[in-house]
Amino acid sequence: MSNGTVAAAPADYLSTGGGLGAWWSSRDHKKIAMMFLGLITSAFLVGAIFAVYLKLRMAAGGAPDLAAYHKTMTMHGVAMVFLFLVPALPMVIGYFTLPLQLGARNMALPAFSQVSLRLYVLGLALVILSVFTGAASSGWTLSFGGGFMLVMGLGLVCMGVSWALTGINFLVTVHHKRADGMGFFQMPLTAWGLYLTGYLLTAAGFIFAITVFYLSASMSFGRGLFGPEASPLDWLNYFWFVTTPAAFFALLPAVGVISDMIAGISRKALAGYRLVVGAMIGLLALSFVTWGVHMLGTGQADVVSFTFAFFNLLTVVPVALIVFCWLSTLYRGAVLCATPTTFVVVFLINAGIGAVMGLFLSSLSVGSYLANTLFATAHAHYVMMGGVTTALLAGLHWWWPKMTGRLYSQGLGRFSALLYLVGLNLAFFPQIIMGAKGAPQGAFTADPSLAGLQTVSGIGMMVLLLAIVLIAVNLIRALLNGEEAGSNPWSASTLEWSTTSPPSADNFEARPTVGDPYVF
Amino acid sequence: MDFGSLTGLVSVKPFLGAQGLSSWFPEAASEHAGGVDGAFLGILAAAAFAVVLVVGLAMTFIRRFSRSDDTETGVDTGRLSYPLMGVFVLGAVALAGFSFYVGMDGFLDRTVAPYGAYEIDVTARQWDWDFTYPNGYVADTLHVAVGQPVKLVLKTEDVTHGLSVPAMRLSKTVLPGLDAETWFEATVADTFTLRSNRYSGEGYSTMQTALIAHGDGDFQAWLTAVSDIFAGRTLEEVGELLYSTKGCKACHSLDGSKLVGPSFKDVYGNTFDTREGVQVTVDDAYVKESILAPNVSVIAGYEPVMTPYEGNITDREIEAITAWLKTLSVHTPADAAGQEEN
Repeated sequence: MSNGTVAAAPADYLSTGGGLGAWWSSRDHKKIAMMFLGLITSAFLVGAIFAVYLKLRMAAGGAPDLAAYHKTMTMHGVAMVFLFLVPALPMVIGYFTLPLQLGARNMALPAFSQVSLRLYVLGLALVILSVFTGAASSGWTLSFGGGFMLVMGLGLVCMGVSWALTGINFLVTVHHKRADGMGFFQMPLTAWGLYLTGYLLTAAGFIFAITVFYLSASMSFGRGLFGPEASPLDWLNYFWFVTTPAAFFALLPAVGVISDMIAGISRKALAGYRLVVGAMIGLLALSFVTWGVHMLGTGQADVVSFTFAFFNLLTVVPVALIVFCWLSTLYRGAVLCATPTTFVVVFLINAGIGAVMGLFLSSLSVGSYLANTLFATAHAHYVMMGGVTTALLAGLHWWWPKMTGRLYSQGLGRFSALLYLVGLNLAFFPQIIMGAKGAPQGAFTADPSLAGLQTVSGIGMMVLLLAIVLIAVNLIRALLNGEEAGSNPWSASTLEWSTTSPPSADNFEARPTVGDPYVF
Repeated sequence: MDFGSLTGLVSVKPFLGAQGLSSWFPEAASEHAGGVDGAFLGILAAAAFAVVLVVGLAMTFIRRFSRSDDTETGVDTGRLSYPLMGVFVLGAVALAGFSFYVGMDGFLDRTVAPYGAYEIDVTARQWDWDFTYPNGYVADTLHVAVGQPVKLVLKTEDVTHGLSVPAMRLSKTVLPGLDAETWFEATVADTFTLRSNRYSGEGYSTMQTALIAHGDGDFQAWLTAVSDIFAGRTLEEVGELLYSTKGCKACHSLDGSKLVGPSFKDVYGNTFDTREGVQVTVDDAYVKESILAPNVSVIAGYEPVMTPYEGNITDREIEAITAWLKTLSVHTPADAAGQEEN
């Protein structure tokens, strides 16, 4: 691209549109994504503040106010799972990259993007409001009735509808907005992950909204239409039928993001591209038939537990295929030595530990023993903080030069990635050991034999938070006065790197030419 | 199959050492614990190998094939190596299959208690436990005998609860309206922590009690001792207790109101017409007859419908009930033809 065309280029999306009001009323997918990034970070901070309270309370020992403790635990889980982890990748990475990767000017349904964002804001406000109007102490699985309030329920209903609208938006965008000549098998894998997630978001989002609506209505008005107290096994089935795929809202885009990054940092075509697509479709299918592994020992028939454990273990086949393709891509690649590479390695370690922990929980005798212990808590945190959040951070460090047009400090980036790895493992590996010792999930226990492990875990959480602060400082500093990134700082191949950084409001000046996604 | 032996099979023990092993688990105090621990350690070794292999390969490739300048591209090695892929995927399937297999026996084993297992009913509520023994005695701690399989039949009075005894590797969830069963056999005589591990509301963290495993016949001695209702009670207090526990209160009021049977208020020492038209005075002999063979002489106005207690109550318990009935009556014991209580 010559200097002449740069001078004539339209203004980028960050410098058009001015004030907050203009951003709020914008339907540009990039602005929607950046607003989601701000909101989702706020939700994360809310969840993190509750987590800090829980750790400090545990460290202080003595006799706590148990009602406050369990309400805080409930709010920590609800904020982190439903407001941060489930929507983070689709809403931030998804809204930003999907049209760019497809060579489109915007999402197919810009009004849906906007309504989805506004429902998220409303839901977030209602959930935070519920802390003040009477916090729920239901646990994040909402499986215990006491104190489950209408306000939080309505907030979660907004979330469910927001997910579903985004899902429909992804599906229609992929079907109608691909650049001329781009077939399904010329789509980059991030776009594939988002497309498949579109099905999950649509199905699970609506079911989640309806289920939570019935639940909160029956609890608030005392009619046992539906809910854990009226029919406990039915409630568990509905809840896990929805939330098991919900974990894959985050995991399928994560697979796509890491695949694109591995192809980009290796500067070669992703080995086994179609195999990875097939494996992702396999994961999508399996996500709908594995919910019962969350219900071992709850009174579901033994043969049912058996079947679910079997399906859950089947997920190793697609996962193994994907990992093999990643390793084959790195082999004899021209591998970039930069922050995104460090994040890919951190992802492999954290998500790898999270994945193999699933083997313990699916092994029926061991799983029945560990199911309600801190081992399960640690598993959830390795999958969510280790897998999903690491993938989100990796994606942010990969696309930040595209989002902002600026480069962040590589030294600080790599240091904070390693600090994140250390903090996460210090925080959650002790929980694996405590779980094996039988320490119960979600309880305030003043067990002196576990005090040392609790302290290590608490220190780990502080390190983890420090890493996140450093990451935020690095990225924000880049946005304010970072070095110009240029259109393609990583020499990557997919369409979003062919346009300016940050892109103009219309993304592309000319219709992009389309071939295979990974041609360097 | 004894999965305890898996520990040796996968050679974890030499690496971790006895110290390392004991740091993973609580004391193993049931015949079931060894199998769970062995399966856990087997999966741990295999899983650690898998993670180290994948991360190690990735880091090796990143270091070995690092980019020298921005124009360099990776070498497209053509088709994937299918034999290697086969090995990789089969390895993963073997890992999953191994995990599934080692957990199967221990799980199936839990589903049906051995024939003749000692049965204890467990009632969970917010936020404590009741343990009911076969003789009807109710305790708030769980006592068992070492070497005897114990079958627990769990029910909950309110929300979902989870019963957990880590030392037994025992964990069972019970849902409202769905009774649950599990069993275990203690191998070590000691006191262990028994607690709830399923969030049940704001008092969840305090829902904790003890499992006491007794050795060498101590269990029967304990049960006999605590089941002796006469210990530490006056005769009258025992009578009042029996009124509740033997089912009397369903049909006999204490306030004079008429239920299925006559009220116990002011009944002792009083004189009634029977259905047969005979007059009786309620004395010790009549009380005893009315408990053991209640439908022989029934007070007029009531149906002969009471269950005879012959064989289900001792003479001493009848004495206790009689003594208690006297305290409920305005008719002095001297009016009756009975003997003085002592």
